[in-house]
Amino acid sequence: MSEKKYTKDHEWVSIENEIATIGISNHAQESLGDIVFIELPSVGNSVKAKDEICVVESVKAASDIYAPIDGEIIEVNNNLENDAAIINKDAENEGWIFKMKISDSSQYSELMSEDEYKQFLEQ
Amino acid sequence: MPINYKTGIINEHKNVRNHSGIFDVSHMGQILIENNESYLHKLEKYIPLQLKKLTKNRSHYSFLLNKDGGVIDDLIISNIDIKDKSYLYIVYNASRKKEDEEIFISCAPNAEKIYEKNCLFAIQGPDSINVLKNIIDIPNNMNFFDILISKYDNNEIIVSRSGYTGEDGFELSIPNESAENLINLLLKNENTMLCGLGSRDSLRLEAGLSLYGHELSEKITPIEAGLSWALDKERLEDENLNGNKVLSDQLKNKLSNKKIGLISTSKSMLRDGMTLFDNNNNEIGKITSGCFSPNLNKSIAIGYIISEFNTDNPIFCEIRKKFELVKINNLPFVKKNYKKNGSIYE
Repeated sequence: MSEKKYTKDHEWVSIENEIATIGISNHAQESLGDIVFIELPSVGNSVKAKDEICVVESVKAASDIYAPIDGEIIEVNNNLENDAAIINKDAENEGWIFKMKISDSSQYSELMSEDEYKQFLEQ
Repeated sequence: MPINYKTGIINEHKNVRNHSGIFDVSHMGQILIENNESYLHKLEKYIPLQLKKLTKNRSHYSFLLNKDGGVIDDLIISNIDIKDKSYLYIVYNASRKKEDEEIFISCAPNAEKIYEKNCLFAIQGPDSINVLKNIIDIPNNMNFFDILISKYDNNEIIVSRSGYTGEDGFELSIPNESAENLINLLLKNENTMLCGLGSRDSLRLEAGLSLYGHELSEKITPIEAGLSWALDKERLEDENLNGNKVLSDQLKNKLSNKKIGLISTSKSMLRDGMTLFDNNNNEIGKITSGCFSPNLNKSIAIGYIISEFNTDNPIFCEIRKKFELVKINNLPFVKKNYKKNGSIYE
């Protein structure tokens, strides 16, 4: 598995064999509070970076999840259907949301490293 | 007051329903108005109660009304004696301080804004009485909406059995210098915790209680909001009351809108401002408050729909460009547990 990278929309991405796994950062789950529902993206959809592809609903608010890079959605974390609070418990592992087959790995390189994301949060 | 403390909205909510929780609502308005006939007469222009006849040591839910009978604010008004002097003690919304105080001061120039020196705490939930009675004297026969003066730290404090969660509970108006001490003492009980605005909202919504700026506004009358029980019907005949004609007409005739409770049939959250449709895509109303209900494990909402809509027909809510079926649910969504005559009543 490659180094985990982060977007400005507080999502994390890790890549293995051109398959990207995506979720929301621990910081994002903390600010959202209790997550009660997730509308998962549709498998098979081709999406572009920055497209709104699914929604996380916490008790406080609904929050859009964006595609971090171009690609095709190939798998979603069905465990979240029954228990979206997995994201609160383990946002950056068990709480992964979807997987994509990516078409342009240079987009991945442009994302923030963990240290850069930490700095970004402090700004 | 934060949205939530460390353990989150759902945990705070459940703790209030099962044990107790403490809300620091010191941001709210609290004012003392001398119980003097001329002041009361002026206030009766805005408040639809017979202020001269308010029972001592009782609280009443009421409103400030504008000329059209619309709600300037909703408030709790109580008749109490402090140091042998009779007062109206009024608690009102923080967001309406400016509008309300303009009216209070115009009616009673020496009205005293006591929120400047008193904090206001609510302790809510079935364990509230046990948490509180070790610290403050609470008479056994104190009922919901009773109010009295008690002592803490050699200071007089105002104690009312009331709240905004549908549970038994108390509100305490206490001098700032003693406030921290009291909170810390209450928090020593392991079954209580600090609760924030998030659970305050989900608790009041489950209890079907209105929130100013959502179910209530200057454009909505108490009758349209389903709160005609709070109006003194004799006052509706009184020309001195703002909007008295509008209100008595509304009582006799059919209203154009009605307030309803809704429950989601999917997992999507119903939120304030979402539009409601019939099965022919005609807009029939809007949601004014929506949230996740920890007790029902579903999303619930309060909204207004046009009166002529037959509620046997399906209602759809537009959520992110999709139409999702919602079901009408009588308000409140959960049973109220208020104390009356020695027992808890709904």
